[in-house]
Amino acid sequence: MTGPHKERAVTHTRLDVLRLPLIGLLRRRWGRLALQIPLLAAAVLLVIDGFTGPQMAARNLATVAPWVHFRGFVVLVLLLAGNLFCMGCPFTLPRTLAKRLSIRGRRFPRRLRNKWVAIASLFLLFVTYEALDLWASPALTAWLIVAYFAASFVLEAVFTESAFCKYVCPLGTFNFVYSTISPTQIGIHDPEVCRACVGKECINGSYSPTPLVRLDDIPGGQCEVRHGPEGTPGCGTLLFAPQIESNLDCTMCLDCARACPHNNVGLFVRQPGRELLRPEAWPKRWDVSLLAISLAALGLVNAFGMVPPVYELQRALIKTLGIQSEWLMIGLIFGVGGLLLPFALALLAGALSRALARKKLSLRHTVAAFAPAFVPLGFGIWFAHYGFHFLIAPLTIIPVIQEFLGQPGDWAAFSSTADAVLIGLVQGAGLVLGFLWSLALANRTAARLYRRDAVPGLLPWALLLLALAFAAGYVFSLPMEMRGSLLMG
Amino acid sequence: MSFFRLIAVGLLLLAAAGCRGQAITPTPAEKLSIEMAVEPDPARVGEAALIVTLTGANGQPVDGAKIGARGDMSHAGMAPVLAEAEGGQDGRYRIPFEWTMSGDWFVELTITLPDGSTMTQRFDVSVSGAGS
Ligand code: SF4
Ligand code: SF4
Ligand SMILES: [Cu+2]
Repeated sequence: MTGPHKERAVTHTRLDVLRLPLIGLLRRRWGRLALQIPLLAAAVLLVIDGFTGPQMAARNLATVAPWVHFRGFVVLVLLLAGNLFCMGCPFTLPRTLAKRLSIRGRRFPRRLRNKWVAIASLFLLFVTYEALDLWASPALTAWLIVAYFAASFVLEAVFTESAFCKYVCPLGTFNFVYSTISPTQIGIHDPEVCRACVGKECINGSYSPTPLVRLDDIPGGQCEVRHGPEGTPGCGTLLFAPQIESNLDCTMCLDCARACPHNNVGLFVRQPGRELLRPEAWPKRWDVSLLAISLAALGLVNAFGMVPPVYELQRALIKTLGIQSEWLMIGLIFGVGGLLLPFALALLAGALSRALARKKLSLRHTVAAFAPAFVPLGFGIWFAHYGFHFLIAPLTIIPVIQEFLGQPGDWAAFSSTADAVLIGLVQGAGLVLGFLWSLALANRTAARLYRRDAVPGLLPWALLLLALAFAAGYVFSLPMEMRGSLLMG
Repeated sequence: MSFFRLIAVGLLLLAAAGCRGQAITPTPAEKLSIEMAVEPDPARVGEAALIVTLTGANGQPVDGAKIGARGDMSHAGMAPVLAEAEGGQDGRYRIPFEWTMSGDWFVELTITLPDGSTMTQRFDVSVSGAGS
């Protein structure tokens, strides 16, 4: 569809934050380390405390920092800035080392180059998290961090692309999906320059075993392009800067900006969630659509795992199905509630929408068209949940650090919690605004696809969003509990 | 590659910094038996009290101790509940307390006897929702 000379639609403003002072430093060769080293240091401290510190979750960095503070920050930063946590991800540091070990690796298996593995790893992370009560266990959380480093290292050593980030990492997948509402996006300054660019270094990189010089005839004159052993890699997740319309798969590593010999790549400010309005921004694939839809449902199930009805459900499952294994039971709850049910309802809504609007668009295209509408509400659900945990004891990280450093923790001074009304307001706002945003997106999609039949075509999707929002509202209206497993207790 | 060496050195320094200081080891109070009950029982979210009974080696009640109580949830993310009591009557101490969320709690009692010796003991309490 996009011919080489077709004018590309504007997906962002002209404001490139990489051209601002200070932030521009991130573009430097080692700029990303400014974020990665502090986070790596933090990860190392967490692991040390997790293994050697007190095995009490509320007093150990390994449990308090990631499960209370990190999660809260992630959602806030995605909303206000962008995918800075992938940008600063410390797991990719040993990976850089691995990359050097295997310049000539293999590509990731073709059949796995999609989001199914990522959906499975998200599911696995949530089930593990619940079944092992990770946030009640500093040592197990430390093991999880170690496993992360190992997995990222191994996958990077074996495959050429950033396979771990693009296809496997559950945290990255979460960030990819919800950075689609972020107010920033990678883009280019001048399409003419890209058209004239011979090497496309933003994706190919400027590495070569022997030094090499080339001249590019770009608008504004000739430009010398150097490749060599010191060159920078191109986009690890295989995105092509001049064609980027979405933050999906962008780790904000800025390798593209570093590799581009014509300084044509920028990190642009855009209208938040701009891409969700653009029908061409996301690939029309089942894996991508169902990822966006089920991640919203997984957010709901994750919160549901903390309110009283889940214990009744577990008791009922034990009674009726005779389930004894905790893993099986939690796998069942998450599998049905977070994957099967949303998949089935999405298919149903798609089929109904096609029938009601009498439009011959394939089911896959119909679901793909409405899938982006699940992002804001899904985000609102995660925001409400993580916001709750963050606000209920925001300062306890201070005495935890004090104790980590061998001093008495000043618990009395830092035990304050945000006002219950405030927490409720934050949660309510997250849900209501997320829902309204989602509904507006679905409405626009229906108007675009179905024109005169927009209302009947929208109806099934609107009902599905409404049901999700109501279920979330119900879950958040219940008091949260923090319990170990029913079977073990 | 010298760059990675730099990181490695940095990490080692961090690891060294991470070595925790020595925790203060309390002098144990000899053969003190500590029992704890909760009020209301079973525990539920809201105002509560811990009833601690101290008995000496020969079964005699121990008064005049200072008891610090600290309640933590089994999961990360809740501020601890701190409370204290002093004196006691017939070895019984009543510590006003509050369960701030339902779920699994650890209550750690630190007892300081008049002679300065101390002892800590942990109790598990399961707290149910306010309504039930
Ligand atoms: S972004 Fe840079 S490297 Fe990529 S095509 Fe355009 S000019 Fe070439
Ligand atoms: S190189 Fe790829 S992943 Fe990194 S910032 Fe550029 S587009 Fe995003
Ligand atoms: Cu929760």
